[in-house]
Amino acid sequence: MGSHSKRCRRRRRRRISLYDICDHPDYGSEKKMAEATNEAELLKEKANNFFKEKDYENAIKYYTEALELNPSNAIYYSNRSLAYLRTECYGYALADATKALEVDKNYIKGYYRRATSNMALGKFKAALKDYETVVRVRPNDKDARMKYQECNKIVKQKAFERAIASDDKKKSVVDSLDIESMTIEDDYVGPKLEDGKVTLQFMKDMMDWFKDQKKLHRKCAYQILVQVKDVLSKLPSLVEITIKETEKITICGDTHGQYYDLLNIFELNGLPSETNPYLFNGDFVDRGSFSVEVILTLFGFKLLYPDHFHLLRGNHETDNMNQMYGFEGEVKAKYTAQMFQLFSEVFQWLPLAQCINSKVLVMHGGLFSEDGVTLEDLRKIDRNRQPPDSGPMCDLLWSDPQPQNGRSVSKRGVSCQFGPDVTQRFLEQNKLDYIVRSHEVKAQGYEVTHSEKCITVFSAPNYCDQMGNKGAYIHLRGSDLKPEFHQFTAVPHPNVKPMAYANTLMQLGMM
Amino acid sequence: MAARRSFTDSDTADEAVRTTCDDATICKRFATSKGYWKDSCLQYFVRNVGERKAPEINRGYYARVQGVNLLLDAFLKKTQCLCQVINLGAGLDTTFWRLKEENLLPRKFFEVDFPTVVARKIHYIKTKPPLSKPIIDEHSSDTLLLEPHALDSDRYCIIGADLRDVSGLDEKLKKFQLDPELPTLLLSECVLVYMTPAQSSSLIRWAAETFHTAMFINYEQVNMSDRFGQVMVENLQRRQCSLAGVEACQSLDSQRERFLKTGWENAEALDMMTVYSVLPQEDVARIERLEFLDEKELLQQLLQHYCICWATKDKLSLGLSQVAF
Repeated sequence: MGSHSKRCRRRRRRRISLYDICDHPDYGSEKKMAEATNEAELLKEKANNFFKEKDYENAIKYYTEALELNPSNAIYYSNRSLAYLRTECYGYALADATKALEVDKNYIKGYYRRATSNMALGKFKAALKDYETVVRVRPNDKDARMKYQECNKIVKQKAFERAIASDDKKKSVVDSLDIESMTIEDDYVGPKLEDGKVTLQFMKDMMDWFKDQKKLHRKCAYQILVQVKDVLSKLPSLVEITIKETEKITICGDTHGQYYDLLNIFELNGLPSETNPYLFNGDFVDRGSFSVEVILTLFGFKLLYPDHFHLLRGNHETDNMNQMYGFEGEVKAKYTAQMFQLFSEVFQWLPLAQCINSKVLVMHGGLFSEDGVTLEDLRKIDRNRQPPDSGPMCDLLWSDPQPQNGRSVSKRGVSCQFGPDVTQRFLEQNKLDYIVRSHEVKAQGYEVTHSEKCITVFSAPNYCDQMGNKGAYIHLRGSDLKPEFHQFTAVPHPNVKPMAYANTLMQLGMM
Repeated sequence: MAARRSFTDSDTADEAVRTTCDDATICKRFATSKGYWKDSCLQYFVRNVGERKAPEINRGYYARVQGVNLLLDAFLKKTQCLCQVINLGAGLDTTFWRLKEENLLPRKFFEVDFPTVVARKIHYIKTKPPLSKPIIDEHSSDTLLLEPHALDSDRYCIIGADLRDVSGLDEKLKKFQLDPELPTLLLSECVLVYMTPAQSSSLIRWAAETFHTAMFINYEQVNMSDRFGQVMVENLQRRQCSLAGVEACQSLDSQRERFLKTGWENAEALDMMTVYSVLPQEDVARIERLEFLDEKELLQQLLQHYCICWATKDKLSLGLSQVAF
């Protein structure tokens, strides 16, 4: 310590002195530090000069010596990183850039250096993150912005290449699974498939099991997923069904992981069966806390009643949404990343639209950014993929109706908004009566627009535990195809926060 | 010995209110880590970035922080920093350090909160040089006043007090050289709603009676009589957090009224949806690109249920009523 702190102690009577509040370096070592710093600086200058002369070997040598004297200097690391880049030692360059940032995470050049190193190593996504940081902190730096844009282009190009790569090149999780050898432990007392098949009893047992917040054995989950993938892959992108005069179907909208509200729908409207068919119009997962329970239940019923239980893809049955809004996190927490991979593959096979009695068309989002799309076009969509940024497949999952005629840029930033005239033309061209879609939360659970030609149905009541909205479902009778609306309110659920983030419910009042 | 309940209802309620300061800090920490705005001091109050928050929450906090700062900075510029700022229910707020960095410090910056919150904040300040150094820099002598629930220096003062005890508050502030003659900005963010309308009225009235030239900025809930508001109240009740002052949050009018009837000359109020639309749109566009928001309705509802209300009185005719968005 030294005389310095003795002075401190004398000062400390009723008041605590300044020196106690912030750590003051010991004068002794401070002097030593000053000396070392000077010599290190001289070595750095020497190295810089070599660098200017393009003698990178020597530059590296002297930066290294400087670092030996002063190992926590971000600039030295950064400079040496640049020298390594010049000599194509990209691994070393990356290590030095990383060290520079460890020493001083606010050292912007460090991000620059690391990005350059990563670019050289072909790690474009990593580079992009760092360029983003630089651009954010130096928004007026033209060079930074240019580099960011270039890198972004490359990242996008690579993503595009991956997306258009054909399916046989991509290996399915199914191929690497060996479900048969998965064993179910003796202490698992939950539901199991009967002879590898989903039965009504299994479904009832599973729903009760889930209600008690218990987990289905992963073998059973895999069995369901593999089987439902097979069933879905055989369906066309546009599914066509006929409801006979005496029959009816129930159409539900978004359910978003609200398992207890789904159970309530079955309570109010009866369990699915051959005489009680259902169509769930996408967005089964994300945002809610029980997405796994919802989707396994829906998939289970699809296997049990393949011709009377229908599922359409929503914009949340995609990788991007699942990553951000909870489903991926939930699957990884309850099962594994591999299982999420399989879910992702299954989602890709979900049909995109359903036509009922050639008169009513159902899809999650809405109609198209361009006129002239026909039902035949929809049949032909190659859907086993993540949706593209534009085009009919994207529109089916993303668009929204608007009150005014024509089309507008979507408030969502994807796809478009379409007016009553667009709906009218589409229906006429395809000899349809009206469309049913979901995708937007509605206070009453449903909304009728475009002169009754565009209906929205949303089945997640009190969405995100905050909106206070009602849920609704539609009864459609084969006799007249007139929609009959049924509303319902939210039921209580266990206080489990959604997997993506801290419970919105909690944050709500604290803003 | 008389029988004593271990936790009175008000203890539980107060404790619930105190934890809201953590919620705000944690949310701001996450939002700043994603780049919504810059705040280099938050990390000293909350080390880890923590779990992700929903995009609408991040955007909501962005609107709150930008909105309040806009008015605050405008007041500082109007008074050329020859003023005081009192942050009521400040929690772990970092405004003092931002103003120091931007060279916009008022003559003195006061923060008030519950004693336990203040003690925590003082501990952070004592143990983190990036927090203490700016305070010490602005202090003329080399000793600061440091008590368990108060820290006083030339330009920064933090006091533990109960805002419902207005005379106690007045006494404590004056003890630390609060100058009623200086133009003063009072700020409360999600604070008044946790006390009864009568208690918040007393506080607002005290401010009007104490300062002849002042502005009061209040950020909190509004439009609470609809379904969304109902759900919010229920959700919070489940957390033992009661919005005792929700009556004043019925509408923008009721928010303005509470100031106009307690001695303030002018009062304006805007809901956060409006504030969001009048913030510099280039930056709004930038933050909207940070995270994709899947359901705009969620953000809309959130923003429509919070407001900024600002009231002024202007004996010195500084033009305070012109401070606006």
